[in-house]
Formats: sequence, structure tokens, C-alpha cells
Amino acid sequence: MNKPSPFSVRGRRVLMVMRDEREISIVRRQLSRLGMTISEHDPAEPPPPNQAVDVILMDADAIPIKSDQAALWKGNVPIIALIGTETPSRLKWLLDLQPASFLVKPLRSAGLYTALVVAFDSAQRRVDDAAHIEKLEDRIRSRRVVFSAVLQIMRGHDMSETDAFALIRQTAMRHRTTIEVLSAEIIAAGGMPNRTTRTA
Amino acid sequence: MMAGEMRKSALMAVDEINHSDEFDFTFTPHLRDPGGVVAGYHTACADLIRDEHVGHIVGCYTSASRKQVIPIVERTERLLWHPARYEGFESSDNVIYVGAAPNQHVVPLVRHMLDRISTDVFCIGSNYIWTWEMNRVIREIVTSAGGRILAERLLELGETAVDHIVKEVIDRKPPVVFNTLVGESSYAFMRALHVAATRAGLSVPMLSCSLCEPELKLIGSAASVGCVTSSAYFESIEGAENRSFVARWKARHGADSSLSVDGQSTYVCVMLLARAIRRAGSADVGAVRRAAANHRYDSPQGPVWVDPDNNHCFLTPRLALSAPGCQFKIFWEADAPERPDPYLSNLDLTTIGTRPEKSNDTMTKRSTHLRIVK
Repeated sequence: MNKPSPFSVRGRRVLMVMRDEREISIVRRQLSRLGMTISEHDPAEPPPPNQAVDVILMDADAIPIKSDQAALWKGNVPIIALIGTETPSRLKWLLDLQPASFLVKPLRSAGLYTALVVAFDSAQRRVDDAAHIEKLEDRIRSRRVVFSAVLQIMRGHDMSETDAFALIRQTAMRHRTTIEVLSAEIIAAGGMPNRTTRTA
Repeated sequence: MMAGEMRKSALMAVDEINHSDEFDFTFTPHLRDPGGVVAGYHTACADLIRDEHVGHIVGCYTSASRKQVIPIVERTERLLWHPARYEGFESSDNVIYVGAAPNQHVVPLVRHMLDRISTDVFCIGSNYIWTWEMNRVIREIVTSAGGRILAERLLELGETAVDHIVKEVIDRKPPVVFNTLVGESSYAFMRALHVAATRAGLSVPMLSCSLCEPELKLIGSAASVGCVTSSAYFESIEGAENRSFVARWKARHGADSSLSVDGQSTYVCVMLLARAIRRAGSADVGAVRRAAANHRYDSPQGPVWVDPDNNHCFLTPRLALSAPGCQFKIFWEADAPERPDPYLSNLDLTTIGTRPEKSNDTMTKRSTHLRIVK
């Protein structure tokens, strides 16, 4: 699936969690210009259960720090924080929410588009980074498997560690699979499996 | 209640300026009362500027109301003269902050607590920005000095059901309670704790950086006694300026009336404004701001002047103990007006709670006295 460009905001769904009518009207006007789908939510209420939205605009001053519902806003939807109060106690709460970008109040029409683009971009990067980290972690987890496979080849073929690893790597390349997958097969088969076909 | 005290003080200053030969101009006050409705401050301020063409606005008690007004005064290049102490972390070119910054209110109080009372503290406050930020500062200083926050209890604004917290305090007997409750919640808590502590034969020291004389009356003479309070102003400040100020106030508002730090600070706002206009020869905002910078005013609370670096004021921090008769007994004050530090950038945690105790001055003696009282 193609990743959506962070610059294209038309049609994306935004949830406004704001209190101040004046700010709401400024934001609503600008979001309409950008062609976004707008829904609103009262900051005094707990978050809606199904946040079927792409981005949340949240007035950071409107939600009490010491309330159970503050934590409920944490999730996968990128949050743009609207900041009025810059006290460290408020900012610490905000950091816990991991805002994808922010705007400083008083709001005006300029700046909102940048905040949206940065939010979409950083949310996408977060997803990409998470996937990358998961891959690396998988690889770390399978190091034990690779090590066992190398040992098995060393014993079975009376090879040095370097040669055993080179054989596994070459075989994996020939079969177009990863070292980790082939290693698991070596352990399962008790030796180098006879593979005549390509492994997807 | 504070809004009324502040308005009375502002109008008193306006009258004095209008009847004084020292000023060759008069002020015309335009009053607006949004009544604490946050959104109303933006509207009221916009009206004042558009309809009355005012250049200078004195007021706002809460940070929420100030945040409503700042966008307009910034956009229209007006000045807001803000009398109330607040939690800091703000510095607008279009606000003159006349109330105390955190280094002038909470820091001296925590320092005193660590040096003289306890390193372990039970915190109770109202669930909003003032308490959150005060608790953060207290926690930072206390933990760096090796102390502990025993509890952090919050009540919703205006909540007066305090029994569960009073019970907890009585059960746990903390060495000190730091009270950042505001308004009726604070009065209810102090009354209930007084009753419960008396019944239990306990004495629990309490700290506050917002208590003022009119509140002592509201709390009641018995329950209001014994709270260590940090403020730049107490009605009991010695000195000719303050004695005369208090006398003029009482002549105007009755012998039973009391001054408060916020009322006095509002008076100082108007006086700083008038003196800056006189010095500038104009009410133009830019000229007034420049003229106000470093222009010392010997106010009821002592010398006050605006620090042009951040538009906050040099003020003298003081600590006092609330005494019978709804007054404060001052037991410590800074040697000189202290430079405002709204971002606490110069707070050096390594020097707090670990420094050698002063032994040469009256502070030690007075603190001993404080220990007896608690």
C-alpha cells in the first residue's frame, strides 16, 4: 500500500478536542479550507471509544493533568497539542502524550497546515521506525537460532565456524531466503535441508 | 472576593492620582467585571480597547483570564498590568507582571521549610495549574534536598468536602502540610483540620503562598492561626509608606476592612503606571514600557521596580505566621528586593537544603520562636 503523503491533508479526518469558541472557529475555518473532515469532542468528556480519525487537535490547557482520562488519549492517532501554558508541569503531561506536533496559542490561520504536515510525517516515521525496530529485534532474537545452526553445520561437516557461517549465508542467498529462516530449517532438519526450489 | 479587593485598591489609587499635584494628568477608570467567566475576559478586554480606546488595562487574577487577554493586548499593542502572583513560565512584552514570580513566593517558603521545619511534606491543593506547578517546584526542591513528598492530594476547584483528607492528615501526622488550595476549599480545609487536630491533640504546621488577611477573617480567628505564609505584602509591614497606606485604606473602607497582597499589588500597578506615564510624558505604550523599566517606586510593600529583561518586578519576599486577630507576624524578609526569575532559570538546587545555616542574624531566633508556636 502506498503511504499517503503528509502534504495531502484533503479528506483526512480530524477530531477537535477544544474548548474556546473563538479558537474553534479559527481552526474549523482553516480545516474546511484544507478540505478535511471535522468532528468535535468536548474536552471535559472522556475520549470517544472509537477514534476513527487521522489526527487529533487537542487544547492542552483544557484537560486536567491529574485526571484518569488524560492517559486515555494516548494511542496511535497523532496528536497536535495546542499550547497556552508553558509550565513544566503541563509540558511534562504533554510529553507523556507524545504529541506529533504542536501549535502555540493564540491560534491564527497560519501554522495549522505546517502542524498537520509535521504530525502526519512524524506519525508515519513513528510507524516506520516501529516496524524497523521490530525487524531488528526479531533478528536479535534469532541470533541464538543462527548460532545453533552454525554449530550444527560445524559438527556435521567438520567445518570451522567461519566456513559454516559462509555456507549458511551462501545457501540462504541461493534460496533467496534469510539466514534466520534457513537456520531454523537447519535446526528442524538436523542438518542442511535439501532444497531444490526457491523459498519465497 | 479577590476581584472586589483589587477593584477597590485600583480605584483608590486612581483617586489619589487624580487629586495629587504630583501628576499633571488624571485617569478615567473604565470598569469591566467578567465575573471569573474565562471567555468573558477576552470580550471585556476587546470592548475596552475598541469602545473606550484604553491603552492600559489593570487586572486579571487567574492565569486562565490573563491568557485570554494576552492575545488582544499583544495584537493591539496595549499593556496589561497584572497584579497577582502566579506560577511563572510566561513573559509577554505586553504584560507588566507586578505580582510575585515563583522565585519570590514558593522558593523562599520551601527553603524555609527545609531549613527549619521538615524535609518531608504532605501536599494538598486545588486541581488546576497553580497547584500542579507549585507541587512540581516543591517536589523538585524537596527531592533534591533528600526529602520526600508524603502525599499529593487534589480537590476540584470550589470543593469543600475535605473530611477524607483531614482524616488522612490526622492519621498520618505529617511533619508539615503544604496548602495550595484556593478559595472556599482552603477555608473549609483549614477549619476542618483545626477542629480535628485540636480534638486529637495534634499540631500540624501548615504552609501557604497565597493566604491573605481578608481570608484569615473568612476562615475564622481560631482556625486561621499558625499558617506560615509567603508573600511580598502583609498589612503588618512596618514603615511609613505602608502605615500611611493602611490608614488611607481604612479611612476609605472602614476600620474593620483588611488589606490583601492582591489589593495592594493592584494599587502598586496603578501607581507604577502613573509614574511611568509621568516619566515618559505620554501614555503611549512603548514610551510607558521604557519609562517603567528600572523606575523605582517606594510602595507600601517597599521598593518595587520593573525588570525590563522580563517585565516582572523586583519585589521583597517575606515570610510570616498568621496570628490571632487575623493578621500576619512577619518573621523573615529578604535583605533587598529580589530579581524576578519567572522561568526559575537561576534556581540552583545544589544550594538548597544543604547550605550551612545562618547563625548570626535574628532569623535563627525567630525560627526558634516559630518552632514553639507550631
